[in-house]
Amino acid sequence: MRIVRIALASIVLLAVTASAATVRVSGPKAAQVMHERHEGMEAIGKAFKVLHREFDAGSPSVPTVRASAARITALGKRSSGWFPAGTGPDVAKTGAKLEIWQNPQDFAAKLSAFQKAALVFNAAAAGGDMNAAKARYADLGGTCKACHDKYRTEMHH
Amino acid sequence: MPRQVPDGDAPLSRRRWGSAQPVWDLPVRLVHWLLAALITFSWWSVHNHHTDWHIWSGCAILTLLIFRLLWGFVGSSTARWSIFVRGPASVAAYLRGRWNGIGHTPLGALSVIAIFLALALQVGFGLIAEDEDGLYTGPLYRLVSIDTSDKARDLHELWFNVILGLIVLHIAAIIFYRLRGMKLTKPMITGRAVLTPGAQPMRSGKWWAALICLALSIGITRWVIAGAPPL
Repeated sequence: MRIVRIALASIVLLAVTASAATVRVSGPKAAQVMHERHEGMEAIGKAFKVLHREFDAGSPSVPTVRASAARITALGKRSSGWFPAGTGPDVAKTGAKLEIWQNPQDFAAKLSAFQKAALVFNAAAAGGDMNAAKARYADLGGTCKACHDKYRTEMHH
Repeated sequence: MPRQVPDGDAPLSRRRWGSAQPVWDLPVRLVHWLLAALITFSWWSVHNHHTDWHIWSGCAILTLLIFRLLWGFVGSSTARWSIFVRGPASVAAYLRGRWNGIGHTPLGALSVIAIFLALALQVGFGLIAEDEDGLYTGPLYRLVSIDTSDKARDLHELWFNVILGLIVLHIAAIIFYRLRGMKLTKPMITGRAVLTPGAQPMRSGKWWAALICLALSIGITRWVIAGAPPL
């Protein structure tokens, strides 16, 4: 059942993501999206740092892992709305590269891979087997890197 | 007692003053060129999404710094801190042209210390830093909080500019001396240079002392990579 739920959620996410890049925003709306994107990505990063410390310590705290997994999954879902056209580096200072909107399909696939990996990790964390969760967390990290290597500039903040 | 060299003994005096004599031992030269290569590699790897290679490169630099620190106490005369690190009076005398030695000049010694300290600080920041995404961490990141780790990364990035500045100064000095007829690069490769008359030749360090320094520096680095566990 869980697999079916994940699959269904993934299809919905993919559909939302695919449509995201075609919407165009401007003005205060664009600024708002970019702000939310920045804060959201930072929060995901923070949750990942917490997880890194937990999994690196011999016995991770299950509630901490679950809370961070849930947070990443929730933010991951919202991330579909973070990259409308009109929120690139041509509009304002951002770590998001122009290539995102030049390769919308590839970008959507990478974002979707991240969202799926977050769901799978969240399920593993909920399951309570921390070894399994650690492996899924590593997979999830791979999806972050795959996208950031290609679509994020080095940021200085 | 200096050996008496009879006037007109051409072969002997040429050997002493005319031909190239050792000025830099092999460990000093290896440390120098490996540092140059690893700093370049560290810069390249982190800008090309190879953060893992970057961290290993930093650990190698740590090994070199520890080695060089130790070699500065037991190495050849030109490698020793106690010999080349001089006071302001020596620097002033050198600037007035009253210095006749081999190895680091009193002024150059300041550059050596600046580069060494800047690199040590840079490695220190890197050891406790973590990347923006929480994917990679320096081996000692557990000793500090997430916030400190993030700050260390920012400082690690900023401090590289200081290192770049010192490298530019270093190369500019080499060009400056070259324009005045003094070639510094070749001796750093071959280890030999023609000495000015009256300069003290280099006293070589012991090869086994170098091996002990190397073993110690690798041992300490391994302990750091393990997260500096209690001994």
